[in-house]
Amino acid sequence: MEAFSDNTLMEKVRAGDLDRLGLLFERYKRPLYGFFYGMNKEQELSEDLVQNTFFRILKYRHLFRGDGDFKTWMFHIARNVSHDHFRKDKLKSKESVEKWQERLGHNENRSTEMEHMEEQQMLAIAMERLPEEKREVLLLSKYQEKKYKEIGEILGCSEGAVKVKVFRALEELKVVYKQLEKMM
Amino acid sequence: MEQTKEELVAKYNEGLADPAEVKLVEKLIEKGEIELTQLRALDLLDDQLMKSEGASPSIRMNDEFYSMLESEKGKLKKGLFSFRLPEMNVFLPRFAFGAALVIVGFVVGNQLQRPTENTEVQALTAEVGELKEMMMLSMLEKESASERLKAVSLTDEMEQVSDKVTRALFQTLNYDANVNVRLAALEALVPYVGQSDVRKELIRSISHQDSPLVQVTLAELMVSIQEKKSVTELQKLIDNDSTPKDVKNKIKKSIETLI
Repeated sequence: MEAFSDNTLMEKVRAGDLDRLGLLFERYKRPLYGFFYGMNKEQELSEDLVQNTFFRILKYRHLFRGDGDFKTWMFHIARNVSHDHFRKDKLKSKESVEKWQERLGHNENRSTEMEHMEEQQMLAIAMERLPEEKREVLLLSKYQEKKYKEIGEILGCSEGAVKVKVFRALEELKVVYKQLEKMM
Repeated sequence: MEQTKEELVAKYNEGLADPAEVKLVEKLIEKGEIELTQLRALDLLDDQLMKSEGASPSIRMNDEFYSMLESEKGKLKKGLFSFRLPEMNVFLPRFAFGAALVIVGFVVGNQLQRPTENTEVQALTAEVGELKEMMMLSMLEKESASERLKAVSLTDEMEQVSDKVTRALFQTLNYDANVNVRLAALEALVPYVGQSDVRKELIRSISHQDSPLVQVTLAELMVSIQEKKSVTELQKLIDNDSTPKDVKNKIKKSIETLI
């Protein structure tokens, strides 16, 4: 399997065999898209950010050292792409709140809308309400399949610290989720 | 301490932990003395989160990625080996697949000189096979009959087809609105008549068919594979008033050959 492991493919990309990136793209386009979509809830923007991530992977391919996990490196880049986007668009967080309010609808029809809201939708809304860094750690935990050590490498902290971040984020998510449940 | 830790976890799971105890839980998580999985109160939420599906990316994302890759390759190879593909946004999904095939071809070629890495070739071939299957299954959903025909013909290029693909082919054979697509699906299933499940499904499919062309082709196939168990189903077609007379005659001949 080694010849087609992520790292070997990326090493070949680094050496100039760019076609190999197609396989990595096919492997990771969905998780990456899921990560971005979880962060911004916009399909087109998320697709663009996946595109930007792969563009950076291509551009900075010579920086891939191969001593770490490709997926970790990729999410590291993805995270930077996401941060750069939010930095450019500072209104974003305000927009998120507005969108959340929009989703809930006006007071008079809120209860009817909430009645029809399924658990997953509530979870999605609760996720949207979390601060960016908490949402990010939960999404990384999901798409990095709970490999806390790797997430630690992406976030630049220890495995234990990642677990605490996940714990805190889940705690807050639980609170928000319960608030939404009460509103139903 | 062990007892205290367990008690703390139990208290937390009951939702009875006070802020100071939650802080303590955090500390123990950081030290690795409590695993997140022990905290059932969070587990349910976490499970839901892991299962939740986001929206799917559109085909545009693929198009743009492969355009970008092509343009990067162009930059890299400018000079002697410069090879520019024409603008092919429309064909990019197929190009994606083609590119994957080229990789496989290239690698398989290499492997002939290096037989020790056979398993890796198999792994990549399997991955490309999966891509091909995915493409075929999604193309079968298209409204255009010609797209669906292309989807069915993709199976020609597959060395082995999965159950999912044969199921999709039977679904097409039994329910596709277009006769040509149904016939193509039947043709695509012929290489697998050695499998008893496929033969059984083919027999079952006889009663689904209302097109004389497909009915006759199926009857002929039953003769060629000497599938005697199909006689009952074929007889039903003969007994059916809506079956055209010519078709009934042909099927009768098929039954005579079979019994």
